[in-house]
Amino acid sequence: MRTPPRLIARTLAVTLVTVTVMLSVVFIVLTIETRDRVRAAETSKLDATEKVFSQEEAARQGDQLTMLTALAEHPRIKAAIDTYFSEMSFGGVPPDQEQSLRQTVRRQLDDLARAIDADTLALLDANGRVFLASGDARDHWPVGQPVEMFQNVAVLPGGEAFRVTAAPLRLAGDRDIGTLVLATSLDANYAQQLSNLAGAGIVIALGDRVLARTVSDEAARALVTAGAELGPMQMLDDDEYAIQPLFSAGPVRIYSLSSIDNAASGPTRDALEALGAIAMGSFLLATLGSLWLARALTNPIDTLSRDIATMSAAREYGRMLQPTGSSREIDGLATAFNDLMQGLTNAERDTRAAYVGAIRALAAALDARDPYTAGHSERVSAYSVLIARELKLAEADVDVIRLGALLHDIGKIGVADEVLRKPGPLSASEFEQIKRHPALGARILRQVPFLAPHLPIVELHHERPDGKGYPFGLRADDIPVAARIVHVADALDAMTSVRAYRPSRGTSFALEELQRCSGSEFDPACVDAICAALPTASPLLEPQLQELLGRGV
Amino acid sequence: MHVRGVRVLACALLLAIPALAGRPAAQQTASVRGRVEIGHVSTRRPAAAYPTRSVPQPALAPASEVRHVVVYLKDAPSRAVKPVRTAIRQEDENFIPRVVAVPVGSVVEFPNDDPIYHNVFSLSRANTFNLGRYPRGQTRSRRFDTPGIVKVFCEIHSHMTATVMIFSHPWFAVPSEDGRFELPAVPPGQREIVAWHERLGDKPELITVEAGRPSEVNFVLPVPRQ
Repeated sequence: MRTPPRLIARTLAVTLVTVTVMLSVVFIVLTIETRDRVRAAETSKLDATEKVFSQEEAARQGDQLTMLTALAEHPRIKAAIDTYFSEMSFGGVPPDQEQSLRQTVRRQLDDLARAIDADTLALLDANGRVFLASGDARDHWPVGQPVEMFQNVAVLPGGEAFRVTAAPLRLAGDRDIGTLVLATSLDANYAQQLSNLAGAGIVIALGDRVLARTVSDEAARALVTAGAELGPMQMLDDDEYAIQPLFSAGPVRIYSLSSIDNAASGPTRDALEALGAIAMGSFLLATLGSLWLARALTNPIDTLSRDIATMSAAREYGRMLQPTGSSREIDGLATAFNDLMQGLTNAERDTRAAYVGAIRALAAALDARDPYTAGHSERVSAYSVLIARELKLAEADVDVIRLGALLHDIGKIGVADEVLRKPGPLSASEFEQIKRHPALGARILRQVPFLAPHLPIVELHHERPDGKGYPFGLRADDIPVAARIVHVADALDAMTSVRAYRPSRGTSFALEELQRCSGSEFDPACVDAICAALPTASPLLEPQLQELLGRGV
Repeated sequence: MHVRGVRVLACALLLAIPALAGRPAAQQTASVRGRVEIGHVSTRRPAAAYPTRSVPQPALAPASEVRHVVVYLKDAPSRAVKPVRTAIRQEDENFIPRVVAVPVGSVVEFPNDDPIYHNVFSLSRANTFNLGRYPRGQTRSRRFDTPGIVKVFCEIHSHMTATVMIFSHPWFAVPSEDGRFELPAVPPGQREIVAWHERLGDKPELITVEAGRPSEVNFVLPVPRQ
């Protein structure tokens, strides 16, 4: 069978898994939430940008138109153009005149273009063809080329597009002889300026062609391709963009767009850093908390287990478990255990009392068969205890000896009354009968398991150190000390007891006799012990003994 | 003044023709008559997002648009014609009349009838000049000795413009207000008659002029609506 895991491991696992699941959920929610917020923020940013751009553009257009209208009143430019086309239609313009007129216009136009810092200041004739252009981007405005004009936007034959403001050159009779055009190139430079202004990406498209962009080429192309199906949120080149059209005129479209991924990376990282710190803290707290909790449970349990183990090892079943003070439940467990042990101890004491009583009754019944041996077993028991105490035996061994001594002659149940009560000397066969009683007693006791500790006393209390005892003829140290003690006590009582055939021999005689036979018949240590203990045996310590001795003497 | 001069000239020529009818020289020419009609077409508006500032215009309607037409014989042989003296007034920030046709050597006066300064200048090859600025009541004039077209402008008021056409022959006319014109004594043969309009430029018509038989040629000019 598998060993169950330690409680602390389980607590830790459950706590950490819980914290991890919670943090994961928070992480997911946080990520989604952050992205949603970024989307909303980017959309509103682009929205605001569009409003600002519209207003700025309207204001700029207004300013430019005012300026341009004033410029369009330039008399020399008008005169030169009208003269040029009038002469052209009347009889043609000779080269020197053409050069002179164009030069006149060019000089004026260059001055104006410089003064207003325009990409291009162009002069279109009445048919919308370029008459002259000035400014940095004038090369895109080739002389004589038609210009496709839309509202605010001009598309040139070369494919370039310009933001334009236009004012007519008008003569008396509402005659328009041309158009003065202030043009801003819709190029990368313009896109960059817009991008800086908007704080977002810019794509300028002409039809389905990208004129300028500040975002990746793929994204710009995807945006232009999406065309009419553009939503405020659009996947372009595997990236999500918030998109806001800034401007639309003719085939020209200007979009501002902002990558959600880019915009979300900062806030998401911040949120994750915060979450990471929280996670560290949570793990630490959870670990400490679950450790503390687990220890609060396991420590008292360990203490109790150890105490119980100690109790078991020492067989101190009466000892009480101390309350751990850790929790009511565990203290309840300890109390219940104590109660249980108390109950068990009481039951065992009762049992023991009952069986000691039974043994005594048995011994008394035995002794009663012969009036001369009345109280013999009790006295032998008392002497044996005296000797055992003198020999400093353990209390448990003393208990075994006390009861064993009470039972030592149990085998005599199987000896016939005639033999047992025979006042005279025994015949050999009778003695043989007597000698059988230890083995008989052993046989009886063997059937009662709880009397097993007393068995050696019953079986061997007639063995002698010199090997002349019965039933086995064991020698000295082969005989258990309990049997040796009871042997000495039995002999002492036999000598001090009245017999049908003789009176009591007296205690001192008995002791001398014991000492005389010490080493051969009796164990010397036991003899010395009884000789030392008997005279000083305090009636206070062994009240029963005095009584017993009195009766015996 | 100029118009009247032309009319006087034309009337004199017309009167002279029957008088000279019996003479063989007179038999070798024929008058060309006709009518000029102005048909309006929609004008192309300038590309501008916002309404442009209108050039202030006089409240008066301009003279009939046909008065801005000059009908003349193209590639005509030079023939001396007596110069005239005519005037283009500056009135309500306009040159009136806007178009005059004169023979070579004629003098055009530019009296300033406005209570403000005006200027008269031209960049045209046929006669480049600048009469400078001058106030009300003053008149400055310019003699036109080279045939061709001269556009006249005011340096102060950029919308003011007038056209002086100078011819080295007598076959030119500004139509009357009903559009009628007559070129008298045109030499016979294949002739190209041109109606010039200040916006449209030349519109040519080929005719064959037979001696002694008046021809007729009509022009319809589509002029942008004002």
